[in-house]
Amino acid sequence: MNGARIHGIVLSGVGGQGVLSMAQIVLEALRRSGFHALQSEIHGMSQRGGSVHAQVCYADQPISSPLIDDGCADLLIALEPLEALRYVPMLRISGHLVVAEDPIADMEGYPPLEDVHAALRAVRGSHLLDTEALARKLAHKQAGGMALLGMASRFLPVAESLWQEVIAQRFAAKGEKVTAKNLEAFEAGRNLIGEGVGA
Amino acid sequence: MTQSTLALGVEAAAQAAFDAGIKGAFGYPGTPSTEGFEFAEALVKQDAGGGRVAHWAANEKVAYDLALGMSYAGHRSLVTMKHVGLNVAMDAYANSALTGVQGGLVLLVADDPGMHSSQNEQDSRRLAEFAWLPCLEPSTVQEAYDLTWRAFELSEALQVPVMLRLVTRLAHCRAPFLRRPVLAPTGVGLTPKARVQDWVLIPSNARRRYVDLLAKQPRLREAAATLNRIVPGTGRRGVALAGLGRAYFGQLVLEHPELAALPRLEVAAYPVDPELEQAFLGQVDEVLVFEEDYPVLEERLGLRGRARVRGRLDGAVPRTGELSPRILKDALGLATPEGKAAAGLELPVRAPRFCEGCGHVDAYEAIQEALRNVGAPEARVFGDIGCYTLAAQEPLAAIHAVVEMGASISMAVGAAFAGQTPSVAVIGDSTFAHSGLPALLTAAEARANVTVVVLDNRVVGMTGQQPSQALDQVERLVLGLGIPEADLQVLTPLPSRHGDNVAAMEAALRHAGPSVVVFRRECIQSLRRGVLKEHDREAREHAACSSCTPEVTR
Repeated sequence: MNGARIHGIVLSGVGGQGVLSMAQIVLEALRRSGFHALQSEIHGMSQRGGSVHAQVCYADQPISSPLIDDGCADLLIALEPLEALRYVPMLRISGHLVVAEDPIADMEGYPPLEDVHAALRAVRGSHLLDTEALARKLAHKQAGGMALLGMASRFLPVAESLWQEVIAQRFAAKGEKVTAKNLEAFEAGRNLIGEGVGA
Repeated sequence: MTQSTLALGVEAAAQAAFDAGIKGAFGYPGTPSTEGFEFAEALVKQDAGGGRVAHWAANEKVAYDLALGMSYAGHRSLVTMKHVGLNVAMDAYANSALTGVQGGLVLLVADDPGMHSSQNEQDSRRLAEFAWLPCLEPSTVQEAYDLTWRAFELSEALQVPVMLRLVTRLAHCRAPFLRRPVLAPTGVGLTPKARVQDWVLIPSNARRRYVDLLAKQPRLREAAATLNRIVPGTGRRGVALAGLGRAYFGQLVLEHPELAALPRLEVAAYPVDPELEQAFLGQVDEVLVFEEDYPVLEERLGLRGRARVRGRLDGAVPRTGELSPRILKDALGLATPEGKAAAGLELPVRAPRFCEGCGHVDAYEAIQEALRNVGAPEARVFGDIGCYTLAAQEPLAAIHAVVEMGASISMAVGAAFAGQTPSVAVIGDSTFAHSGLPALLTAAEARANVTVVVLDNRVVGMTGQQPSQALDQVERLVLGLGIPEADLQVLTPLPSRHGDNVAAMEAALRHAGPSVVVFRRECIQSLRRGVLKEHDREAREHAACSSCTPEVTR
């Protein structure tokens, strides 16, 4: 007997980077695309500059597990390269990884950045983004996160217009300019990965 | 039924309480329960004029008693706390089983198996059992909503408080859910005169009420039985499931349809009916139990002696920590897919730490230098619960014991009695209000040779910067508890004040008898968010207003 296919997305980064906020955008976009979806997150102590991660599961039918097992995630979105490496074992063999190259390395024992990047490039299905260069190019300091989401969107069954709608709503309170900047960053990321490359 | 927006499990429970017509929500912050109260508070604010209230309390016991008083007055109330908070409220909770309730009372308690943000992983189901009270345990966000409604109905039907037990993964699981129409907080009327003696727990009444409580137990089991069920299967190997064990197994059945053949006992409410347990055990020779935290169901089934019961006690499930899909798969003998491999780099732990510019760091540096200056660089310092607990780790390693809310002061007094000198306690302002006050009263009364440092950042920092109940009151509280004005110093923890702060701290350490040093600087997170902006503006206006009495200005 073949069971149902349940899809999993892992999002990771450092406290304060907006991991949970991005997870909510992904959750909302999937839900509006007609999927049953839920999200799991950890609050409290971890938010004080520690590792933060969230998970989003979705399927065609009602699901109930807030947790994804190792080897069962289809996509990893990482806002920081070391925090990406930590969760690589959660990916299926066929899974994809979009990750920011820019590190948050103010901690003891952070491995040499070239080694971290090399390890990430060696993972099949990985897509690294030079977040700093993109932020400069778009003159938008926080462009990295939305650009990563744009890259990730190529691997998710959500229409482009729906992404734009959800992102616009998310930033509506911050005004048109901020919304436009974030939509621009999303598009820039989305264009980095060719159509048809994704699942 | 209306489709709601997305919400966390703990928020769905709060929404249900609001919809079920609570007049009040009370609580004390604590991960993973905090967002429950905050959600209820936001709903109450939106409902301006609706006659409802939401109020943080100084501690969980106060919060519980507020809810109980509201119940006495005939209204539904919700009280929220984390699992260790229920220890603080246990006196109120256990005795409210004897008084019973008038308006429905639901205790939302969030357990933290795996200790994501807690000092232990105690199981609140045991405390419900201890108090002879019902406990409902949802496994999904929708159930968190539905069972909260049910909890209010049961509370009023059975006239007892009802516990709603969540765990971290459900409390912080975000999903959509369906709502029922909102009830107004109309209430059922004040506790009638004929029932007043039920609420007066002098021994003669308490004995009668205890008999009444035990006599209610069959009705409690019957009520729970409507939420528990046996799902028959084929074969003699079965599973018993509760809470997230149910959620994880339910999803595994989708992925591995052959699992649907296993006979299942599904538990969502306690106390579990022994007849249901017997009926299930009659269908199986072996049963695997998946439940969060303690082996509550496992022990009950094991005691029946009818089948081989497997779980946390025999190692089929790890003895400690939270459940996960992997744990269920391993126990059920399901293969787990191989994941991607990453190159073998050593991945250092990224531990949480103080925010950049946090005043706690400046305070600890002053404390440590002062201890060196008085010739006690190795002095053991008693810490407490909050962001400032982070100082227990390197590089500061500035506190050497952290046990439970308020312990710092009493432990420092105990150690001083044992001869430790200097004996130092470090406690946050909100923890001080929570349970440091009686401890400082004892320290002052006993003239104990302790130095109590209050790290006053004006908010409950760790849980999201809720205003502290001791906001702008710490000095007055300290003086009121019997510390002489000369032995109280208020300092500003800033690098530029370091020299003065060290000198002041030194003086306190050298002082024989109790002394208090308050380091006050607002949490930089709350400052950034402007949490206290409105409060401070009002305080300034009041201070400038000649017709206001000083009492009003706080």
